[in-house]
Amino acid sequence: MPETRKAAVIGGNRIPFARANGAYARASNLDMLTATLDGLAARFGLAGERIGEVAGGAVLKHSRDRDLTREAVLGSTLSPSTPAYDVQQACGTGLETAVLVANKIALGQIESGVAAGVDTASDAPVALNDDLRRVLMELNGARSLGARLKALRGLRPGQIVPEVPRNAEPRTGLSMGEHAALTALEWHVGREEQDELTVASHRNLAAAYDRGFFDDLVTPYLGLSRDQNLRPDTSVEKLAKLKPVFGKGEGATMTAGNSTPLTDGAAAVLLGSDEWAAQHRLPVLAHLVDAETAAVDFVLGSDGLLTAPLYAVPRLLERNGLTLGDFDFYEIHEAFASTVLATLKAWEDPAFAKERLGLDAPLGAIDRAKLNVAGSSLATGHPFAATGGRIVATLAKLLHEKGSVGGRKSRGLISICAAGGQGVVAILEGN
Amino acid sequence: MGLAPQYLKAAVGSFGPRASVLPDRERSREGVSVDRSHLAAYARVCGFAVDDVLPPTYPHVLAFPLQVELMADRAFPLPLPGLVHIRNTITVHRGIDAAEPLDVRVHAERFVAHPKGAQVDLVARVDAGGEPVWLGRSTYLARGATAPAADGDPAPAPPPGVSGGALAAVWRVDGGTGRRYAGVSGDVNPIHLHPLTARAFGFPRAIAHGMWTAGRALAALQGRLPAALTYDVAFGKPLLLPSTVELHAAPAGDGWNLDVRRRVGAVHLTATVRP
Repeated sequence: MPETRKAAVIGGNRIPFARANGAYARASNLDMLTATLDGLAARFGLAGERIGEVAGGAVLKHSRDRDLTREAVLGSTLSPSTPAYDVQQACGTGLETAVLVANKIALGQIESGVAAGVDTASDAPVALNDDLRRVLMELNGARSLGARLKALRGLRPGQIVPEVPRNAEPRTGLSMGEHAALTALEWHVGREEQDELTVASHRNLAAAYDRGFFDDLVTPYLGLSRDQNLRPDTSVEKLAKLKPVFGKGEGATMTAGNSTPLTDGAAAVLLGSDEWAAQHRLPVLAHLVDAETAAVDFVLGSDGLLTAPLYAVPRLLERNGLTLGDFDFYEIHEAFASTVLATLKAWEDPAFAKERLGLDAPLGAIDRAKLNVAGSSLATGHPFAATGGRIVATLAKLLHEKGSVGGRKSRGLISICAAGGQGVVAILEGN
Repeated sequence: MGLAPQYLKAAVGSFGPRASVLPDRERSREGVSVDRSHLAAYARVCGFAVDDVLPPTYPHVLAFPLQVELMADRAFPLPLPGLVHIRNTITVHRGIDAAEPLDVRVHAERFVAHPKGAQVDLVARVDAGGEPVWLGRSTYLARGATAPAADGDPAPAPPPGVSGGALAAVWRVDGGTGRRYAGVSGDVNPIHLHPLTARAFGFPRAIAHGMWTAGRALAALQGRLPAALTYDVAFGKPLLLPSTVELHAAPAGDGWNLDVRRRVGAVHLTATVRP
């Protein structure tokens, strides 16, 4: 077995993200993931190629989408002898798949792999009413006429109302936005700074499209060639007019503008060993150096739902002998503008460092000019499991463009918060 | 896309005198833009992925209304009701993007005798950006009708089908398949819609559209098809609804040999895909 090695990020492909019930209203997760894998295969000449593995996933999944990623591989131009599996870790899914694939490459178990994610809010699974489902399961298991009749007596008219997936935590009953509003209040995140971050996200994304940055990262799909949510001309003044939708009363600051909308889309990243990339005459944009996943007790503990990265990043930095200031790019997923701002405030806070992180000093402030420089989820939208792939490919290309910095390789930090109180963070190094 | 009025007109017009030669005319629609929701509905019914590139069989449904217009006309020598689709050949010169405006042209040719009556080809051509991108030839048989003898062989040899056990899939084709395909293709021929209307035309039950079976078979090869291809299909025994049938597929050079049949007995379709 070879020594461990750093997995190379070779490139990525995604479809433009569409607003829910927009351009992709009729496309399924399987359609979008297959199109995205085909686009990746076309870009890197992988048609008919056996890849080490494809790890993918979706957060909102129909029961028929068992082994969704394998099905997508079978419908794609990749060789059908490419194995695949599904991962589900809320909004951390996409980055976690990249970590899993990169780890297998690092161990020499595979030479190449694809990390992918997809989600649709338009073609979301609507299930049978759970009471009705129980009646039907009992009926199915009934062996005698009497047992069948007894099961049927459980039928009620109200059971015709189906189960619709809600964007809410099962244990708290609060939506992600309501949870984020609690954190925003705790960290005194203001309305204006949220709107400013939102404007920056839209402007950065628009500028990145305008300079052709996404030409080799995005493949048009169903008539869409840019993210449907992108509003290049938005402004703090325009955003100020929106009414808060999460939180209550005076302290409510989160609007539809400074929160990510429900979105449809898919993204994939091609990873490999340096040798595999060289054999296939493919570029190496960056290497995945290390990653950390953390989780917090947001149910009965004192941490917010989306605050696990607050803990994951310091652990990752310590293990790698780095400080928060040692990065050239920061990709902090914009679930909500307030989430990003609360994260930055927590890292700057001495009390938080001491009491919660057990550190003598806070992580410190970051140079805001290095934050989400090609736009992030507020502008692109956020098809849950697709966001990790979008960010990894974007950051890898940014690092590659940057080249070396003062004799060292350029460095980027990814931080993705996820439902369930989890967070996935990673370090990439430019090549 | 209801073609029911055309069918009605054709049914009424099927009585009385008809022309004995093919009309020398073409029907066309210029600048046709693909309706993406219709395309998605077609893809769902036939099993194709929702994508930007048109399924190879999709332009057939764009041309089909023009075919019906031509065939429903009294100047057409064969009565539309009772025509049986026996052969279909599609050539895709390159992948067609759903965003491309398309020019669709249809004419009839090769009106010749068939051992069981008379046959005619409806030829559809689709151009994009001034160049031909798709060609479809649909051969229909009118049992008992008469036509001039063909100069040569009226029909090239049918595709061979698959010998041996290359089972690719078992399809449980439900009773609503004909109605669903009628909904996306506009082919509302009553033999496909309901057992009762099918019985009126001598079928024991409703039968699947040949072009649904042909589309479904091609969709099963998703990811394994060249962008440019020729898909040659010969239709065999009608596929009665509902049915459980088998798709057999075997690689043949850079293409495929296919057939759709019951486990024992009837062969519904044999086909080849060639790059």
